[in-house]
Amino acid sequence: MFSLQSCGRRVAGSLTKRHLLLARFSGESGAPRSPHFDVVVIGGGHAGTEAAAAAARCGSRTLLLTHRVDTIGQMSCNPSFGGIGKGHLMREVDALDGLCSRICDQSGVHYKVLNQRKGPAVRGLRAQIDRKLYKQNMQKEILNTPLLTVQEGAVEDLILTEPEPEHTGKCRASGVVLVDGSTIYAESVILTTGTFLRGMVIIGLEMNPAGRLGDQPSIGLAQTLEKLGFVVGRLKTGTPPRIAKDSINFSILNKHMPDNPPIPFSFVNETVWIKPEDQLPCYLTHTSPRVDEIVLENLHLNSHVKETTRGPRYCPSIESKVLRFPNRVHQVWLEPEGMDSDLIYPQGLSVTLPAELQEKMITCIRGLEKAKMIQPGYGVQYDYLDPRQITPSLETRLVQRLFFAGQINGTTGYEEAAAQGVIAGINASHRVSRKPPFVISRTEGYIGVLIDDLTTLGTNEPYRMFTSRVEFRLSLRPDNADSRLTFRGYKEAGCVSQQRYERASWMKSTLEEGISVLKSIEFSHAKWKKLIPEASISIVKSLPISALDVLKYEEVDMKLLAKAVPEPLKKYTECRELAERLKIEATYESAAFRQQQEIEEVQRDEALQLPKDLDYLTLRDVSLSQEAREKLHFSRPQTIGAASRIPGVTPAAIINLLRFVKTTQHRRAA
Amino acid sequence: MWRGLWTLQARAARGLLRLCSRHGSGVPAPGSGATIFALSSGQGRCGVAVIRTSGPASGPALRGLTAGRDLPPARSASLRLLSDPRSGEPLDRALVLWFPGPQSFTGEDCAEFHVHGGFAVVSGVLQALGGVPGLRPAEAGEFTRRAFARGKLSLTEVEGLADLIHAETEAQRRQALRQLDGELGRLCHDWAETLTTALAHVEAYIDFSEDDNLEEDVLERVDSSVRGLEAALGAHLRDARRGQRLRSGAHVVVAGPPNAGKSSLVNLLSRKPVSIVSPEPGTTRDVLETPVDLAGFPALLSDTAGLREGVGPVEQEGVRRARARLEQADLILAVLDASDLTSPSSCNFLDSVVAHLATQSTNESSQRLLLVLNKLDLLSSEGPGFSPDLPPHLLLSCLTGEGLESLLEALRKELAALCGDPSTGPPLLTRARHQHHLQACLDALGHYKEARDLALAAEGLRVARGHLARLTGGGGTEEILDVIFRDFCVGK
Repeated sequence: MFSLQSCGRRVAGSLTKRHLLLARFSGESGAPRSPHFDVVVIGGGHAGTEAAAAAARCGSRTLLLTHRVDTIGQMSCNPSFGGIGKGHLMREVDALDGLCSRICDQSGVHYKVLNQRKGPAVRGLRAQIDRKLYKQNMQKEILNTPLLTVQEGAVEDLILTEPEPEHTGKCRASGVVLVDGSTIYAESVILTTGTFLRGMVIIGLEMNPAGRLGDQPSIGLAQTLEKLGFVVGRLKTGTPPRIAKDSINFSILNKHMPDNPPIPFSFVNETVWIKPEDQLPCYLTHTSPRVDEIVLENLHLNSHVKETTRGPRYCPSIESKVLRFPNRVHQVWLEPEGMDSDLIYPQGLSVTLPAELQEKMITCIRGLEKAKMIQPGYGVQYDYLDPRQITPSLETRLVQRLFFAGQINGTTGYEEAAAQGVIAGINASHRVSRKPPFVISRTEGYIGVLIDDLTTLGTNEPYRMFTSRVEFRLSLRPDNADSRLTFRGYKEAGCVSQQRYERASWMKSTLEEGISVLKSIEFSHAKWKKLIPEASISIVKSLPISALDVLKYEEVDMKLLAKAVPEPLKKYTECRELAERLKIEATYESAAFRQQQEIEEVQRDEALQLPKDLDYLTLRDVSLSQEAREKLHFSRPQTIGAASRIPGVTPAAIINLLRFVKTTQHRRAA
Repeated sequence: MWRGLWTLQARAARGLLRLCSRHGSGVPAPGSGATIFALSSGQGRCGVAVIRTSGPASGPALRGLTAGRDLPPARSASLRLLSDPRSGEPLDRALVLWFPGPQSFTGEDCAEFHVHGGFAVVSGVLQALGGVPGLRPAEAGEFTRRAFARGKLSLTEVEGLADLIHAETEAQRRQALRQLDGELGRLCHDWAETLTTALAHVEAYIDFSEDDNLEEDVLERVDSSVRGLEAALGAHLRDARRGQRLRSGAHVVVAGPPNAGKSSLVNLLSRKPVSIVSPEPGTTRDVLETPVDLAGFPALLSDTAGLREGVGPVEQEGVRRARARLEQADLILAVLDASDLTSPSSCNFLDSVVAHLATQSTNESSQRLLLVLNKLDLLSSEGPGFSPDLPPHLLLSCLTGEGLESLLEALRKELAALCGDPSTGPPLLTRARHQHHLQACLDALGHYKEARDLALAAEGLRVARGHLARLTGGGGTEEILDVIFRDFCVGK
């Protein structure tokens, strides 16, 4: 793993004269020849599309700038969305009226809920997606979003102007300069450039500048960001080769069928677009010892892997699997790329060997003996900006009104990108309309955990969402994302439609009503046992118990309860989702109650705000260790809660900060 | 601009988080977090000890310990018989006070128990409180911090707060170092490691098992290690003797260069021959400790090997142990040979140990130090005075006893400051804390076993690990991820 301190390139930031001159010139000329938008989003990937659509939903005139309109919504890597932790993020994006969940409900070819038997809190909605359909549907959505304009163009530079005095930051983003020299002005700018900042594609020993195979990287923009003084790091990722479907012998492989019926991603959909029986299967195969040999014999031809010796802790490539866990077979999932696609995506086989060796390796795998490789796998190395330089609203602290979302912040995955996109879009828009920042706490959602981890702790490997990162996992579930976020999205962010808001309100009030009804029905253990003989209710106890307590038994669901007590419970079984959610609420009631104290303690610390303009390095009258000062200076936590999560900031340092803040407040008030 | 600290309330939990939580049974409604308790009077010799609680469960705790009697009138003292709510065992006749929030020290509901200051009584009440649902021992400075967060402290009071917290965390750190330097510490670390691995494996099973090939028997192995852990914790908690191993009293460490007379001083102070004394440098090779009553305060006196470099392996180890013990000391008695102040070993000791501590102001409450110049009897009466650079010091002759009176007086002052200050982490509370977290860890493992839902099972392990982490440190998410990626080949 590389450390930012040693490998990061930090250049003393100074505004170049060119930038200021340019801005002044246009100001003086006053010629509104250049177009002017509220929000400009650079990049049409998963962060960019969500950001642009969210800003437009919030009422901002928004421009989406992309290299090519036909790559909007492109799934550059795996042909699937969701999974464990990632499915949680999609539900939250959906609760804020984001796009990806709804588009997935229109584009999937194999829907499968993971962790079905491990508990509703950790269920992972996932689907194999038809790449072509996803792109088409996303483009249709984006091109038909009110207030949203789409333009092709490569961004070369930012337009920077004098900072607003009431905010921190050394300058202000006021638009972009395109490669052709034309300018576009904007009140807020969102960068979602993915792997395109000094992107480098690697196959074997060959390295070519590109953001994605076949697309040019952004170099001018990377230089500008560096000149401004952003701390830049380098990350790696990779993608497997693609294989011709008709060259695979599926008949000898393990076939995996999708769910029937498929469960939709979005709260607003009852069903998905495809008929259950029309879904496509996936297949499972395994690597052989010969694969290990090919990898090990050819390490000298593999520059990406050589450099990956200190790579991320998890195993993204087959090379790292072989190196770190030798003498084992590894799984390879053969996934369809779409309804009418001739390609198969071998998930688990990400590789950067020279192309001819990749082909040789593939044929050592069962079922793939005669497989034809259509496109080789490759590695990508790219710049990311240390996310401790942005605030929880995803605005940079160096440059006012400049927002970052997606891989540029060091994350990996479509869902992680989409989640940041929505938040950046909302906040870029809020900045224009002078509304307060919209921040989700770690006690409210996976999005909150993702952004708090990034902005407080930073990352030195591509950050991926895991449910184990979430302290309040039992409360932050896929089933209740709407209850957690839709109301705030509607009232505070203004990014949620009336229809979705009403649906969520109905669900919330019906759930509350259902729970109080369930609590009000009380019988003795013996009577319950007689009513529901299927349940393992002990009749030894004499105290009466409520229907809600009975619903906690694993084998009891609302249907069974309503059969025993039809009035008044029958009506709560009519809506499938409602019945399921009542059962889930009952399952977690005691645990959620136990967690509540912990949640409140976190929220109490999060409510204690730190001044944004503290200079931790020179602050006098506060006793802080040099280590604490440097860490606070770099991460600039916005609340005492965030500060206390930074390693090296001790309880004593926290109290010193509180004391200082209190004293300053006292003086200012005087 | 930033928003005021005091006007802000924690943003109310939204949506369904609260939906189910309003109607808990038996336990007070949430609203202000956990209820904390601590011994708030000093630990020295005192007739009355004051134990305080703060938080929503203060009322139920007060009722629980007074056999369910009604709460006394607010803010006036009442005499009650205290008993352990679980065993019914009577503890003490004590004055109790009830301060309903917001008119209380912390602004929350508070209760005070003024009990007789004996070891057994205080320890019994603390353990009884630890057994009340919703109560836990306070963290360093938590009372003050709660008062602070509710605007209950004046600005001048706030000034002292950081020092206090620093003192408490420092004292707790030393206390923790002492605890963990021994059998109990090793046990806790082993348990924490077992639990971390178990949790990481369950987490891996949740986050990865469907896509990646985790071994089939991951969960069975976790089950069996949790069973082992439960048995070990249960046995430990039932064995009361282990609890006694937590050493009590202020830790006074005698240190200095070889042959300065450290062992003679220890023998003099303890009035018994604890250490072998000889004119040969390096006689003491190990740390020897003895409980003593120093000027009326309980203390643990440690004799250490003389600090010097370049000696044989056995003495080297002695020196290493001496340095480790210095880290844990509350009070260091630095002993130098008054007739040998210019020797390299004396200078070295003055530079590395004495100068370092003597320059720190006392209110930073790092370790305290008394510099003792021994062998006064060897100085000629009109010899040259000591260098003016020498920090404040006491003169002593262990041989003749000259200077002992003033040393004892100085010790009394230091120990009074140390023991009269609640910040030194009273060992009674440390013990209650220890038991509380181990018991809570065991209870949480019970939740793991009961749970059929894997997310609930993992939560049981997470809570259990959190309690052990309070004793051993560590316990973050990154630790879990490290174990997952070390033990399993996962990722696409």
